Amino acid sequence: MTGSARRAVLAGTGVVVLLAGAELVGRTGIAGPSWPPLTEVASYLADPDRRATVVRAAQTTLTSAARGLVAGVVVAALAACVGLLLPPLRPGLDRLAALLHAVPVIALAPLLITTVGRETTPTVVAGLGAGFVMFVAFSSGLGLAGARSTHDDVFDVLGANRLRRLLRLQLPKSVPTVLDGLTLAAPAAVLGATIGEWFGAPRGLGVLIVSAMQNFQVNLLWSAAACATVLSLLAYGLTTAVQRVAVRRVA
Amino acid sequence: MRRVLTALAHYWPVLAVFVGWDLWIVLNGYTTVVAPRPGLVLADIAGNPGAYAGDLLRTLGTSVVGLVLGMAVGVLAAIAVWSSAAVAGVVTPAALVLRSVPVTAMVPIIARVAGYGDSSILVIIVVVSFFPAFVLTLSGLAATPAAGRDLFGVLGANRVRTLLRLHLPHAVPNVVVAFRLTAPSAVLAALLAEYLVGSGGLGHLFSTSRSYLDLERAWGTALLATVVSILTFVLARGVERRVTARFS
Repeated sequence: MTGSARRAVLAGTGVVVLLAGAELVGRTGIAGPSWPPLTEVASYLADPDRRATVVRAAQTTLTSAARGLVAGVVVAALAACVGLLLPPLRPGLDRLAALLHAVPVIALAPLLITTVGRETTPTVVAGLGAGFVMFVAFSSGLGLAGARSTHDDVFDVLGANRLRRLLRLQLPKSVPTVLDGLTLAAPAAVLGATIGEWFGAPRGLGVLIVSAMQNFQVNLLWSAAACATVLSLLAYGLTTAVQRVAVRRVA
Repeated sequence: MRRVLTALAHYWPVLAVFVGWDLWIVLNGYTTVVAPRPGLVLADIAGNPGAYAGDLLRTLGTSVVGLVLGMAVGVLAAIAVWSSAAVAGVVTPAALVLRSVPVTAMVPIIARVAGYGDSSILVIIVVVSFFPAFVLTLSGLAATPAAGRDLFGVLGANRVRTLLRLHLPHAVPNVVVAFRLTAPSAVLAALLAEYLVGSGGLGHLFSTSRSYLDLERAWGTALLATVVSILTFVLARGVERRVTARFS
């Protein structure tokens, strides 16, 4: 067996063992009534009406997450470019980038509910979560911290202005780092959307999860949680695929 | 004067946040029932430090204890698994899948299973802190340069000694990266868990003051939660820098 085939078999075994373990815990009931066997969750989801509920919620969450991601990427890119074109602002932006990682989006969600409204809050929180990550990626990719390369010297000697340098050198060079950031920002957007929904949005997986927990609907809780995990994994998987393709072309 | 200018150059975004916040409220014509102005919020924090202190310390304490416990378990698990390539190959993908479970989905399930209470908040933080430590330690242990392994092999070092003297020191930078990455998520998990099922802590203070429409208190809590999270991150980053400088 080749190395990658062997790894795939091992990985497959790992996931199967994980699922079987969860099933076993549910069957034996050692974790109490709140841990159902996974087969029970699957058969719960087999019912078309129930499945429709979860799928509808997932679509809402996906829409908020996707909109938030796009908005976050655009705003983060603009902010980083401002930092590049206006050097005096840089030290502050640099520090800001380091700290934004740590802002807990939970602190913002309920405050947004009263101001931007219940419907829009998940999108805004997803945008903030993704935007923070992307701002960090852009600022390190664009070299906001000021590390210079020989290319910078070439551009200096040839008398390139800031805008041209940004378009021809810094933006292309930042592609791998920015796409790395995207693989973190996409799951962050999903998380942000569900956090926004926790605090009183009318629809979405976050709402479903919290209400299922409070009403002791164990199967619904696990279905919605599984669905949120799948969304998060898909977001990570898709962006990782894009990143691999792009890095192969650029690097 | 010079000092003021340097401070301004480094911290203008903080100022911008407060000015932006104030402008946003004034321009939209929001009343204090919708969103309080920053001055009122800061006054509430400065005027009633006692109302915040207990919950602040509680959140900080729970986060730090859970973070350290979870990381310790993660590192130990990685060492246990590392000795067998096959076991590591089986466990790592499963850990990656579990790591992708959003905290918002994990908190309600753990709270349901472990019971509503403060012990489950700790369990939640431990679980959240476990996966990054596990995955990164394992990759650090596995990425030891071949030359080092050859040297230890030739000199006839046994497995335990190789682990202690070669692989573990090599994995230390990865462990501190995991620490820095996990510190803010641990605080976030603590806040979410306290909000949902806690009987104390900033998350709980936040949910109660919000339901009593005490918005200055609610925004003050959010502000302090942000500060706590940032402080934890800065601390973790400091540890990371110091350790990395020593180990690489």
